[in-house]
Amino acid sequence: MKSNNGMIGKSIPRIGAIERLLGKPLFSADMELDHPLVLKVLPSDRHHARILDIDTAEAARVEGVVEIFTAEDIPRNHLTGIINKDRPLLAKNKVRSKGDAVALVAALNIHAAETAAKKIHVVYEDLPSVHDPEEALKNHASKVHEKGNLLFTRKIKKGNPEKAFEACAVVVEKTYRTSFLEHTYLEPDAGAGYLDPDGNLVIIASTQNPHYDHSELVSLLGVAPEKVRIVQAATGGGFGSKLDLNVQGFIGLALYHLKRPVMCTFTREETYRMTAKRHPLKMVFKTGADENGHLMAMTAKMICDTGAYGSYGLAVASRAPVHATGPYEIDHVDVECRCVYTNNPFAGAMRGFGVPQAAFAHESQMDLLAEALGMDPLEIRRVNALKAGHKTATGQLLNGSVGIDQCLEAVKPHYENALKTWLHGETDFAKQRGVGLGAMWYGIGNTGVQNPSTAHIEMDGEGRITLYTGCADIGQGSTTVLSQIAAAVLGISPDMLCMVVGDTAFTSNAGATSASRQTYISGNAVKNAAEKLADVLLTEGVDLLKRPKTDLMLENGFVVYKKDPDHRMPFSKIAARAAKRGIPLRWQGYFDPETVPLDPETGEGVPYATYAFACHVALVTVDVLTGEVTVHKIIAAHDVGRAIHPASVEGQIRGGAAMGVGFALMEEYDPSTTRSLKDYHIPTAMDMPEIIPIIIESSEPTGPFGAKGVGEPALIPTAPAVINGITNAVSARIYHLPANLERVLEASIQSGKFTMKEVA
Amino acid sequence: MKKLIQMTINDTDCEIAVRPNQTLADVLRQELGLTGTKKGCEVGECGTCTVILNGKPVNSCLVLAVQADGCSILTIEGMQTDEGLHPIQEAFIDKGAIQCGFCTSGMILSAKSLLDQNPHPDDKEVRTAISGNLCRCTGYQKIVEAIKGVNE
Repeated sequence: MKSNNGMIGKSIPRIGAIERLLGKPLFSADMELDHPLVLKVLPSDRHHARILDIDTAEAARVEGVVEIFTAEDIPRNHLTGIINKDRPLLAKNKVRSKGDAVALVAALNIHAAETAAKKIHVVYEDLPSVHDPEEALKNHASKVHEKGNLLFTRKIKKGNPEKAFEACAVVVEKTYRTSFLEHTYLEPDAGAGYLDPDGNLVIIASTQNPHYDHSELVSLLGVAPEKVRIVQAATGGGFGSKLDLNVQGFIGLALYHLKRPVMCTFTREETYRMTAKRHPLKMVFKTGADENGHLMAMTAKMICDTGAYGSYGLAVASRAPVHATGPYEIDHVDVECRCVYTNNPFAGAMRGFGVPQAAFAHESQMDLLAEALGMDPLEIRRVNALKAGHKTATGQLLNGSVGIDQCLEAVKPHYENALKTWLHGETDFAKQRGVGLGAMWYGIGNTGVQNPSTAHIEMDGEGRITLYTGCADIGQGSTTVLSQIAAAVLGISPDMLCMVVGDTAFTSNAGATSASRQTYISGNAVKNAAEKLADVLLTEGVDLLKRPKTDLMLENGFVVYKKDPDHRMPFSKIAARAAKRGIPLRWQGYFDPETVPLDPETGEGVPYATYAFACHVALVTVDVLTGEVTVHKIIAAHDVGRAIHPASVEGQIRGGAAMGVGFALMEEYDPSTTRSLKDYHIPTAMDMPEIIPIIIESSEPTGPFGAKGVGEPALIPTAPAVINGITNAVSARIYHLPANLERVLEASIQSGKFTMKEVA
Repeated sequence: MKKLIQMTINDTDCEIAVRPNQTLADVLRQELGLTGTKKGCEVGECGTCTVILNGKPVNSCLVLAVQADGCSILTIEGMQTDEGLHPIQEAFIDKGAIQCGFCTSGMILSAKSLLDQNPHPDDKEVRTAISGNLCRCTGYQKIVEAIKGVNE
């Protein structure tokens, strides 16, 4: 490892922050193009139907309409999807859910496009539709896709849980359910496109993965890769949904045929109707422990509804069971998760890929076991917490950074203080206070599959350094973090780096901004590239400074002799000399975490190279007469390996906790009624309490400067902590998220807390 | 049929012909190129299009441009002074209150409107003032701290 010149662990000004304060960054809908056509999608209004005819004649006559596209206009492969290709850009022969794109209008203005879309006459023949994943698996169920409704099954087996249950002092079996959720990033999906002077298709879009978009456009259009360029615009959040091809394909199709500038901007309603949701899961968990609270065995049957298309369903259905044990060592495990097609809106990636759902179940189970054994909820977690040397349910030996115990230790004083004092504080007669815990673990990167990142670094003849990365910064701050990592290796200030980000014409594939992977994986790729350049600079320095390499270091743009810092050589001179001698100063960095694919029958393998850990404590107040829950405070301890930019880590933790509060208490997408933000509530400033982040740094040996990740972990423990807090307050448990007013009130009534006696 | 309206936008007088059904948000963005004003829902539920109209914060997606005839409007582009960033903008930087930035323009204008009326708001007053400005990234805390800290 090269010198860390104080750049690691420092909250430097975030790249792009000042521009954002001034309203300057160009998000996709802000692009100024020369008289762009606007695109409007006609979505299906049927759950499941054969398309008998699409009559566009009347629509085409609307003044201002330029062209109307259907599936027949797609030059090559009409199916899209990052893991399995099953989602048509435009429906061919049949629709599988309301919201499937059927036709695309290109017009001179939005009014013409909207009017025309309404005048496209689609003749459907309705087919029986299925909306419950368990129903969808029955023999008589209508087939959503020809191949059948079961998309994927993941099994994790270790030991013999049925036998182990017999020896348990306590066994708890419960069923948990979660709902469809909508990401609700503030920027609705949007993109713009134009032809460059060479006739190449340039698509500027709000995206989490420009290089995937590129491959998909090449596949749809059947053009040479160099004919398509994807540029990530400023992106207003994504949380997983902007991993799918939401507008990019429509822009590419129109651009390909019409060869003139186009824009496609979804309304909020379109974003709700036509983009992915979080998978609802039904989970039957059975967990057993001995009299000391040691977890002996667990089984889980999970079923997740991926709606009409796979999107990231396989990843969700793999991740949820892998994480079903929670951050605990359990010797006997049998988990099965099935991912099922229905005619519901398609579900895809959403911050945590099924782990937030699984954590709701495993953390509820932990509290139920603690209650049955008369144990403290924190204590039962500490007894079972994973440690280095333990084996996970997939048989992976943990030997790197395992900071769950440190997280539990860190929240302990807050937790104990809340139980001792806050819990017994005076409240309104109808208010009951509760304190809850939620813990989690989260594998960094994709599950048991290759997911490399690449980066390039280049020094020009005058010593200026440019870092090229395909890593999409969607607001989390990855560009800043990657600049810090490169700067630390090269001994320079990050502002001396020119950053080229998320542009397929100049950057190479860094993989998706998902799976909390960019700091760890792209961070390592950047570090690898920077180290190659650093090595060349030092080697050249030996020749110029006549000192051994081990006595040289990089500092402030110079190769410096450690023992006499005045004896030094600027990068610019080395660069000039290298240029003259034909030594390349452009290097590629590469990193792919070491994983082993999971066995299809037993799940044995190494799904991730490293894991993040966390524990939240939630202090909640429940109004037992109305069901209203107020979150008073959240203490959030996160083992991130190393916080490269602590303020951004804390920003992720606070934002994640907010999304977790929404998941716990209010968020539920109903395909038939949710159209706007008035139907789908996310936490406002009035709903959010103080969040106290605690950063734990259990350094990861394979991480860049020890870093792991935090983006998704931030959200995962919140809902379980809030639910366990509500249980603590009203002495009744909620098994179906969200814990909305009705469910909390019902719990209050069931437990006898709802009583008018207290009113008197 | 277009109607000629006059507005003072960011201290600059402007005269522009607008369609009667055009919203202020669309006129600012499309006709005047002031794209710092965002459109997150177009029905007054997200707050990203907040501008200050005659001293009061409004969702510019709910105001017809013709209703703004004769009015004075402040958008994010008018917040920076000759001396540099506005103190609210400085506070957002200092506190790390920005992530994706899509809500930031509206947040800052709601904050300005609050602080113009109430220079020393408490936590609840700040949260109430920005309760119509949704943010999905930050959890609000740093935004609240930034606004509270501007005049402290």
